[in-house]
Amino acid sequence: MKTTKTTPAVPALKKKGLKPDTHITVLLSMMAFVLLLMAVLKPGSYFTISNLRSMIFQFPEYGVLSFGMMICMIAGGIDLSLVGIMNLSGVAAALIITNMGGTNASIVLGCAVALVVGAICGALNGFIIASLSIPAMLVTLCSLQLYTGLALAITGGPAINNMPDAFKNIANGSIGPIPYVLFIFIAVALGMAFIMNCTVFGNEIYFLGSNARAARYSGINTLRVTVMTHMLSGILGGISGILITSHLNSAKSSNGSTYTLLTLLIIVLGGVHPDGGKGKVMGVTLSVLLLQLIANAFTIMRAPDTFKTFVNGCLLVAALILDVVLEKRAAKKAAKS
Amino acid sequence: MNKLKTKSLLTSTQMILLYVIVAFCLVVGIRQPAFFSPATVITICRAGIFTMCFALCEMVVLISGGIDVSFPAIGCVAMYVPMYIINRVTPIDSALFAFGLAILIGLLFGLLNGFLVSILRLPPLIATLATSSIASGGVVTLLGTREFTTLPDSLQAIYNTNIITYTAPGTGFTYLLNVLFLVPVLACLGVAWMLRYTMLGRGLYAIGGDKNAARVAGFNVRRLQFFAYTFSGVLTGATAMMYTVLMHSSTTSALMGDEMIVIAACVIGGVRITGGHGGVLGVVLGVVLITLVQNNLNMLGIPTSWQTFVVGLIILLGTIITSWQAKRSSHGKA
Repeated sequence: MKTTKTTPAVPALKKKGLKPDTHITVLLSMMAFVLLLMAVLKPGSYFTISNLRSMIFQFPEYGVLSFGMMICMIAGGIDLSLVGIMNLSGVAAALIITNMGGTNASIVLGCAVALVVGAICGALNGFIIASLSIPAMLVTLCSLQLYTGLALAITGGPAINNMPDAFKNIANGSIGPIPYVLFIFIAVALGMAFIMNCTVFGNEIYFLGSNARAARYSGINTLRVTVMTHMLSGILGGISGILITSHLNSAKSSNGSTYTLLTLLIIVLGGVHPDGGKGKVMGVTLSVLLLQLIANAFTIMRAPDTFKTFVNGCLLVAALILDVVLEKRAAKKAAKS
Repeated sequence: MNKLKTKSLLTSTQMILLYVIVAFCLVVGIRQPAFFSPATVITICRAGIFTMCFALCEMVVLISGGIDVSFPAIGCVAMYVPMYIINRVTPIDSALFAFGLAILIGLLFGLLNGFLVSILRLPPLIATLATSSIASGGVVTLLGTREFTTLPDSLQAIYNTNIITYTAPGTGFTYLLNVLFLVPVLACLGVAWMLRYTMLGRGLYAIGGDKNAARVAGFNVRRLQFFAYTFSGVLTGATAMMYTVLMHSSTTSALMGDEMIVIAACVIGGVRITGGHGGVLGVVLGVVLITLVQNNLNMLGIPTSWQTFVVGLIILLGTIITSWQAKRSSHGKA
């Protein structure tokens, strides 16, 4: 709450109209640009079924994580501990599944425990943030260390490997040509769209993010909303914990350490305002797809992984600058009319 | 503010920290009587050099109302590039060149941070995260990931210069305190003086407390923000080269992950992450506590794999206690 949010909730509400969103147009045109560029540079290897499939296997892990980051940021906070939650719940699931002999029942139990662990971790974050009014950034930075440390303490260092085939199938199997994970991602995206657009809770999140004080005075239980927001984010962290453990066939405390930056990039690029209150599920979904297209283009061009990090950093700055420019223009327009 | 300080001198953040440090030392000392020796003091001083310098960078930025998570990446670039040039391009055997280039690199990235935050007004956390990935991604792509473990003679000479040499009577081990220990000491004194007695320092507190009020009062907010990030970059560059000298190692990932500990040291030391509060004394105590905990957990019989968790727990508790105190004192004022 460093910047006092005096802007009322009106822009967020107005944006929900049928007017075409500039941000979504920008995202779509950027996707078209990447596709066009690849059509010119590498037409043979980019537009193939196997490449498409390999892309779909990759993005749901961090796509689901991005939605967790999204709701926290819309609510005016941030969740830097998501990667820690992801690994802790992945370790919990892996531990249960391998210790119970890898039966189908153990897989169901393991996944359920992963979600519960995610929910508890998230709720703890939310409770500390709201009850003591400590900035979310600080709390989640601390709890990242806490959850990562707990995962490390449970595994004792080495990764937990040798998952049963049925569990590996969650992230590596497919129905016909379509991977299961695509359905999971679509289900999560639709669920999030429903929560954000059609429920009271969703509206409370937007309201809390655009003006926390006004939200409190207008009778919203900010403690409950913050705890629930972070709990939902933790559950999403748990889902991606299951996905990444299944995908890599290993659970350890240091998986996916680059995902924090990646998810931040995705949601800012997708139009979520870093101060909270604004952002759409649609924008974030498109931004996940765009980033996967770019990442895949780099893989096909055989650029090193580290170059991806560099470009992601540049993209993040570019997206933020674009946001500032668009905002200024919108403000000018509003002043004129 | 002064009245408040004298009234609650015994329950101020600094005093509570001091109690915790003393209590921790007593607990460790009872389990391991060997803890109470000059050797421990030297070890802690040595281990705390880098954390202290980075904590000063972070503190200045936090007081100004921002946050800097890019210093580990900037530091890695600043230690890697000079060593790369010395080892693989031309063997320039000059400490001045190594430190100068490191500071220059820190300065450039500090200016980038300052530009993003003060001119473009991007949120500091996200802007510095972006700088971090630009710095580390860029240097690894261009120069690769090698490890340089040999120092040129001039840097080796710095490594060999010690200000304190203590030989433990029982074991015969020799404990050395390098001359570079003076850098954080001088930096602490300099920053404390700057924050307390110059317009620059007062301005940092002012813009951290309330940017608009500071602007109305005549402070140049942009210039002060620029200064905070640039200062952080410069000191980071110098500290990174000190790391290379003392650790005999220069890699592109040596400092990664340090931001966690450093921010925690600041917050436990009473610097508020929302800006406008904090001082050098508290940060020094915070660094001492964190260094003590990091170095002595195995003396308490805690297994290595649990240490990240325990450090995280202590940091979280420290954060909660200081925030709770801040809340209480602001209630008292109102």
